[in-house]
Amino acid sequence: MTDRIRSRVERLRADFDHSFSVPLRTLDDDSVELLAVGAGGRPYAMRLSQTSGLYPDRPVTPLPTSVPALRGLAGFANVVVPVYDLAALLGHPIADEPRWLVLAAGTPPLALAFHQLDNHVRVPAADVVAGSGAAEPRGCLRGMVRLPGGDRPLVDVPATRALAHRMAGHDHTEGTT
Amino acid sequence: MPENRDPLRYFRIEARELVEQISSGVLDLDQRPGPEPVAKLLRIAHTLKGAARVVRQKEIADRAHEFEEILVPHRDDPAGLAADEMRELLRLNDAISERVAALSQPPPSPDLGPAAATPTAVSPAVPAFPATAAVATPVPVATASPFATASPVDAASPVAASLVEEASERIAPRAATEDLDDLLDSIGEANARMAPLRAGCHTLEQLHRTAETLAEQMRGGRTSAGLTRAAAQRLAGELGTAGRRLIDAVDRVERELDDVRAKAEGLRLVPAGTIFTALRRAVRDAADSEGKRVRFNASGADVKMGAHLLGPVSSAFLHVVRNAVVHGLEPEPERLAAGKPAEGTISFGVERRGRFAAFHCTDDGRGFDVAALRAKAQARGLTATAEADVLDLVMHGGLSTSATVTEVSGRAIGMDVLRDTAAQLHGEVTIRSTPGAGATVELTVPLALLSMTGLLVEAGGTIASLPLDSVRACVRLSTHEAATAAATGKLVYQETAAPFRPLVETLFTGRVAPDSAGPGAAVMLQAAGGTVAVGVDRLLGTHALVSRLLPELAPSTRAVGSVSVDADGNPRLVLDPEGLAAEMLRTEADGGRTVPATVAPPLPILVVDDSLTTRMLERSILESAGYEVDLAASGEEGLERARSRGYGLFLTDIDMPGIDGFTFVERTRADPELAVVPAILVSSRASAEDRERGMRAGASAYVVKGEFDQEELLAHIRRLVVRA
Repeated sequence: MTDRIRSRVERLRADFDHSFSVPLRTLDDDSVELLAVGAGGRPYAMRLSQTSGLYPDRPVTPLPTSVPALRGLAGFANVVVPVYDLAALLGHPIADEPRWLVLAAGTPPLALAFHQLDNHVRVPAADVVAGSGAAEPRGCLRGMVRLPGGDRPLVDVPATRALAHRMAGHDHTEGTT
Repeated sequence: MPENRDPLRYFRIEARELVEQISSGVLDLDQRPGPEPVAKLLRIAHTLKGAARVVRQKEIADRAHEFEEILVPHRDDPAGLAADEMRELLRLNDAISERVAALSQPPPSPDLGPAAATPTAVSPAVPAFPATAAVATPVPVATASPFATASPVDAASPVAASLVEEASERIAPRAATEDLDDLLDSIGEANARMAPLRAGCHTLEQLHRTAETLAEQMRGGRTSAGLTRAAAQRLAGELGTAGRRLIDAVDRVERELDDVRAKAEGLRLVPAGTIFTALRRAVRDAADSEGKRVRFNASGADVKMGAHLLGPVSSAFLHVVRNAVVHGLEPEPERLAAGKPAEGTISFGVERRGRFAAFHCTDDGRGFDVAALRAKAQARGLTATAEADVLDLVMHGGLSTSATVTEVSGRAIGMDVLRDTAAQLHGEVTIRSTPGAGATVELTVPLALLSMTGLLVEAGGTIASLPLDSVRACVRLSTHEAATAAATGKLVYQETAAPFRPLVETLFTGRVAPDSAGPGAAVMLQAAGGTVAVGVDRLLGTHALVSRLLPELAPSTRAVGSVSVDADGNPRLVLDPEGLAAEMLRTEADGGRTVPATVAPPLPILVVDDSLTTRMLERSILESAGYEVDLAASGEEGLERARSRGYGLFLTDIDMPGIDGFTFVERTRADPELAVVPAILVSSRASAEDRERGMRAGASAYVVKGEFDQEELLAHIRRLVVRA
């Protein structure tokens, strides 16, 4: 081992050790991480914290069912997960073959399919506005977010999950996220 | 050497196997006395004694020796052992089992006995290796926990508590040697399939050299153009052949790997036979203390399932078989008086029914005394008159069939445990009783994991598996035969007309399926209601698979029983033959079950054609097939109507005054509202060019009027039409 490598190793080790003494870097409380997506031809956003994975081009096995929003089943690490069409859950006609699957946080396993992923953004919490007079939130949307490309409705993943549970005739208890 | 650190490592495995053989051998001997079972037991006990001495397990060796001592005088004795000798054998058997089990217990071992105290080469680190290689650990063993929260009866009754403890440790899920051999065979087979791939790589190298030579020749210009062209053509031909061979070889490797995967998954499952010895012993003990003679039969040892199922089932059925001996079987004089053999029979069976496993215990005793139970129920102020209601009370209301609580069979506890087990495993319990002739207690539970052989079929671009054990035959269909079967809904097979339906219709998901040539084969499925013929596009062969229940948020039709995961990690549907047959045979009168099996009605169809005759003809075809039809006499009118209500399909002519069919299709595709409605072009134009243009415009199908085939048109419509 040459001296140069040795000093480099020492430095890396010191950096590594030092990292334990630094407090955990947390995201600024005042910002929100979002996925900007397109479903049913419309722009939406969803909170990254309400999801647990994002996958492109995963094959979906169609399932004969009476639930129109249920596109089929996809495999994730040997777990078979039902895939619901986000556009259909949001009330749009099912048109395009969705390219992306996002796993909803919580149980039982549930994936939401959508057509387009625009980007992943972090925005100041102040840019997220609750719906006006939000006594009775409508459907799966909760508020709006101000993004450079324009305002987008926020898809609430737990509410979307609850809708999927109702469609599947599955008892849903709140707080599964 | 690692062996030195744990000298008991192999002894534990061997001893456990020998103990298992002793346990079932003793029960064999009990039922069929004779020199043969004695000799077998002597052999096993001797082996155990020898092995135990080698690893200085004196306690085990001594018990095995005593065991031998009892058997030696009976070597050539056809009469069998005296009852007290038999009891002593069983006691020793238990003592040995206990000792052997203690070897696998994690530290601190409460009582290692004198063997551990003797100064020996046995390392003190022995108890620190509780894992016993891979054998003891890979599958979560069922424990007593299912009953920890069961009824308070458990806690109050030492009988029940001890039974539960006793049962829960008996399931040792582990891979049987044959299963491992099977897996190794499959791996070998997959390996062997690599040879053609390797050969293919060589061929490719050769062809690469040929191509280079050819390029060289062309550059030099020394060879004539004719010769070079011929060489290039030959090369192209060889490349084509090599390509096909490679595809074939890769397909095979893929299939073999699929098989390997499924077999490896199957190792997680345990054969039901592993719980038989415990049940048999329970029957034997109960019979002994009741002074009854009982024969125990068991069937279905090979049915495999998860250990998490077998543990609780075994615990529950220990009670059920004991109850059957104590309450079900009459005393000998009573049996003889009733014209029955003196020896009672208890049969325990396991079988797979679709995606369920059924466990049943049948006795040939007196059956449930429904009258007495009814009286008992009424005395408690319960109203139950029908036999089924009374038996339901036995199941759920704590009614016992016995007047006294005995040592072996607590009042109604057995049924309570069975009921709790059923609830825990999402199963169902049924009781059937024939007074004077016996009773059957049956538990059916859904199988979360199930290993089976499947027939892979393709229909409308989807690949699905059918359980091979319900396939009676596969029949190849010519285009003509397929068309006849589709038109009549029947297929003649072995001189009967079996109901026929293309699988693509049953699996229809409401989305456009790729066009296929239609059924090329029919799978004859055996279902409870008779044989049905399922039309499939292609048969892809058989494969081993492990199926699991559909996930919670994925309700499907009865036709889909479960799902497996293919070699690429993608889900593949496993069809339920009974459900599939029921779907096929479903008539309007049948209300359907709780599963959302009904398909939504199709939306109306819009027919666009300038010819009155064609409009009327198409309307009559569609209406008699059950569709609602609207008509438009031109493309313009068609567009106007299309926007006026929700249609399930557009059926349009091409040549019309004003906008033609191509334009109609293009414009509807461009409109987001209408794009979701599939369009079919019907025209007298038969050229490939027109078909091509139609598809480019966005038509989902193209039907030529000249070859107008009503069935073909309806098949397209059934496949494409949007439902409400």
